[in-house]
Amino acid sequence: MDILTWLLVPIVNLDLLALIAVGTFAGIYVGAIPGLSVTMAVSILISFTFSWDVYPALALMIGIYMGGVYGGSRTAILLNIPGAPSAIATALDGYPMAQKGLAGEAIGIVTVVSFIGGFIGIFALAAFAPTISDFAIRFQPRDYMMLGMLGILLVGSLSGGSLVKGIFAGAFGIAIGAVGMDPLTFTERFTFDIPAMRQGVSFIAVMIGMFGISEGLMQLHTIKATAVKQKIGRIIPSWASVRRHLPLGAQTSAIGTVIGALPGTGGDIAALMAYDHARRVTKNPEVPFGKGAIQGLVAPETANNAAVGGAFIPMLTLGIPGDAVTAIMIGALFIHGLNPGPLLMTSQPDMFWFIVSALGIANCFMLIFGLTGIRFFVKVVEMPRTVLLPVILLLSIVGAYAVNNSLSDVYWMLGFGVFGYFLRLYGYPLAPVILGVIMSRLLDDNWRRAIISDREELDRLFMGILSSPLSLALFTAVVLIFVSKTPLWGLIFRKKG
Amino acid sequence: MQGKQPRRPGELVFNIGMTLGSLYLLYSAWGISGFEALSAPGTVPMVTTAIMVICGALILWETLQKPKVTGERLDRDILPLPVIVTILMVLAYALALKPLGFLPTSFVFLTVMIRYLAGGSVIRAALLALLIVALVYGIFRLVFTVLMPPGIVPEGEILAFVRNLLSGKGN
Amino acid sequence: MKTKLIGAAIALAMGAMPALADYPTKEIQGIIQWGAGGSTDTVARAVTPHAEKALGGTIVMQNLTGGVGAIALNKVAEDAADGYTILFGAENPLLYKVMKLGDKDYSDFTPVNILARGTPILVARPDAPYNTFPEMIAYINANPKAVKFGSTGPGGLPSVVTAMINSKTPVDVTYVPYDGDGPALTALQGGAIDVMPAVLGAAIEAIKGGKMKPIALFDVNPSAALPDVPTITSTNPEFADYLPWGPFFGVFVKKGTPDDVVAKLVAAYAEATKHPDFVALIEGRGFTMMSLSGAEADAFLAGWQSTTSWLVHDAGLAKASPADFGIPKP
Repeated sequence: MDILTWLLVPIVNLDLLALIAVGTFAGIYVGAIPGLSVTMAVSILISFTFSWDVYPALALMIGIYMGGVYGGSRTAILLNIPGAPSAIATALDGYPMAQKGLAGEAIGIVTVVSFIGGFIGIFALAAFAPTISDFAIRFQPRDYMMLGMLGILLVGSLSGGSLVKGIFAGAFGIAIGAVGMDPLTFTERFTFDIPAMRQGVSFIAVMIGMFGISEGLMQLHTIKATAVKQKIGRIIPSWASVRRHLPLGAQTSAIGTVIGALPGTGGDIAALMAYDHARRVTKNPEVPFGKGAIQGLVAPETANNAAVGGAFIPMLTLGIPGDAVTAIMIGALFIHGLNPGPLLMTSQPDMFWFIVSALGIANCFMLIFGLTGIRFFVKVVEMPRTVLLPVILLLSIVGAYAVNNSLSDVYWMLGFGVFGYFLRLYGYPLAPVILGVIMSRLLDDNWRRAIISDREELDRLFMGILSSPLSLALFTAVVLIFVSKTPLWGLIFRKKG
Repeated sequence: MQGKQPRRPGELVFNIGMTLGSLYLLYSAWGISGFEALSAPGTVPMVTTAIMVICGALILWETLQKPKVTGERLDRDILPLPVIVTILMVLAYALALKPLGFLPTSFVFLTVMIRYLAGGSVIRAALLALLIVALVYGIFRLVFTVLMPPGIVPEGEILAFVRNLLSGKGN
Repeated sequence: MKTKLIGAAIALAMGAMPALADYPTKEIQGIIQWGAGGSTDTVARAVTPHAEKALGGTIVMQNLTGGVGAIALNKVAEDAADGYTILFGAENPLLYKVMKLGDKDYSDFTPVNILARGTPILVARPDAPYNTFPEMIAYINANPKAVKFGSTGPGGLPSVVTAMINSKTPVDVTYVPYDGDGPALTALQGGAIDVMPAVLGAAIEAIKGGKMKPIALFDVNPSAALPDVPTITSTNPEFADYLPWGPFFGVFVKKGTPDDVVAKLVAAYAEATKHPDFVALIEGRGFTMMSLSGAEADAFLAGWQSTTSWLVHDAGLAKASPADFGIPKP
């Protein structure tokens, strides 16, 4: 019965409830504005809540986190600029929907499925935290490497028309991710002896440039056209349509939870993997993927919100952060005199259940705030583009600058914006570039760790993969997906037939 | 796959550029550590840039097969004037941000862009710009304490002065 | 009543005026060299609010990562020496010159406060077939290359501790690189690596929870936080040559900052390090409070740089000799 009292703490204390509400509300905007990240907001809150008690401080941070992960979808749908990396996949089908005048419907469904995904993640945290963290911690470098390979294979789903151009874009992204001083050996890579390039290319600057600036430049072609009139129809999706996507949502939530719980991966990778999963399992979508398929919204948005609960799993059971935000929260707990580690759950179970409960409440507030005010947001798309476009440009510049307070990130953003504009014009897909940047270090670092661990011998590495059930399963998945996505599939199929 | 789509103006030049760029990156990746070891920091960069070279060549081959498009012009369909102006304006913004500071640069940028794109009176554009700058300043500078370059406006001092007045703890 | 109000308003304005002339008249920008959630970040964010109170100003904290901290160091070095940009840094810059990571180090800065020092500890996965340092060495010698040591790149704490071990008892092990002790300790708990030299603070909770096994504390005296862990000198006294040694955190301003500004910051941070909450945090995480400033801090930095530069140089990890930069042999 203790558990129930701990769970009730944030519910019966009105001030905690209010803080979670404020946090969630603010988080939605933090998430929606590119350049403002949850990581940044939570860092600022450490100083801001320094003299507070630990419960109110955590309540505010958890609200921001939940709201922020969801908020990224707003700008992705309305403007094709993902507010956060975890919303990249959402833009792929969300923006086409807005272009058809269905922005309200898209935001509605995203809000509801985010809520569902969020709850599945929280449920996994409450019910299976020790089991999942035991599983997650056992991932070896070779397993992370294969996870990175699985990620890279998404290029097949994101390429649109031309697979060759998609592969080119994905490889280019991996190369961008390698720019700068290699964090493992301190070797300079692709720096061309320019000192400013040692710090690498800010991933957020690439994202804002590729999506925000290049989209803005494209829209200049049709600047005089009137904006798409948005249909103000049904915003809250019908139960029937939610139920229809529930099986997919449950699967992608599971993907999100596990990827969120892995210490080396977070919501961005979870959302992309879920998107790919949706493309694989959805046989006949009413609308094709990339043109505004509902499944293309359901999968990433359930996964990235489920990843929130997932990220808390290693943090609360082992004191190991599941992602960047939980890393800062661990720091916050230290500052508040707590010692997050394997003993936290036994010595202070109240903290565990408080966080579970606060996450649940934040999830509910996210649903409420998400569904109200949609009509107002949708109006943004109907603003005259001649005013909207300069604002998007300004926000993009300020956002790129704010990531690291660095002017060179603004130049990167502009450079990738112009480059992305040409890529669009000549039929290259942009999403694989971002995918490559996200997967670059996961793949590269873990490949090197894996092959070093096996003394630079490929056959040893291969035997290692065969001897572990987890590695074997991942390896099988990599091979199957690779074969199914390349002409090899047709070759084998024809031979058999 | 895309063989039937015609070649757009500049597409051939762009794809040649991509292939040559990939070759240069491959050369640069080779320079990182050569063929030192499977685990060398240059291994993955070499593999990825090699893939870029291969794909770049394939794309180039595809482009060469395509018939040239009729009815599209480089200066109208690929790089129309508004696109060039916008790129230059963002560049100018980045150059002016440090010396001039966030507030004046953003205000001028928005006024010029809105006036250029939307037309109408300069005063309308300036008023809109003022409103937007105030909003962005409020969110980024006041709420999230992102320190934008102050430049010629001593906004840090003014803010501290206002705060002191408000809190009444002048000394 | 009216005159009273006017008088109050004038007094307020008068009071505000001198405040403008005195440091700080606006927000101070605090640049943290390492990422959010790391040790440097936690310590910097824990001490600064107390210092703000003593200083009567606001310090806006910001993480600026990359280039092993060189990005942040260079940013502060490029800004004006007016005390409005301060650096929260760790030990790494003292090795930049010999590692060829940059041409600036703390000699371009004035230390405001060397806050605390960490203690290295050698930890192993809980099911490793050795419990003490001599047992581990014996096992490594019997199974060359089989034991996997975590590392975090040349110049980091693991590489320095490994250099110490190699100079006294050469070991033939496999080094698996990680980009920080956090990810490496996670890998240790998952069995991806066997042994990791880490800072005590990062390992303490996992040791208490039985998720990793302490092998030896790299100090001459046991730690109050984990009194049962044997020191390396209790089994291998030859290590006393290098010890005590450890990473540290400090607050710095650019050299050339006006003396009165430095004095104010020094006083504020000295005051802040005495706050019981901060003392509790430092001790609870297994760090040793130092709170050095002025000549003491300079002497500490010079000594640290001399010991460590020559150690990594003798271990063959350095890219340039410390002698090239006038760093004396210890």
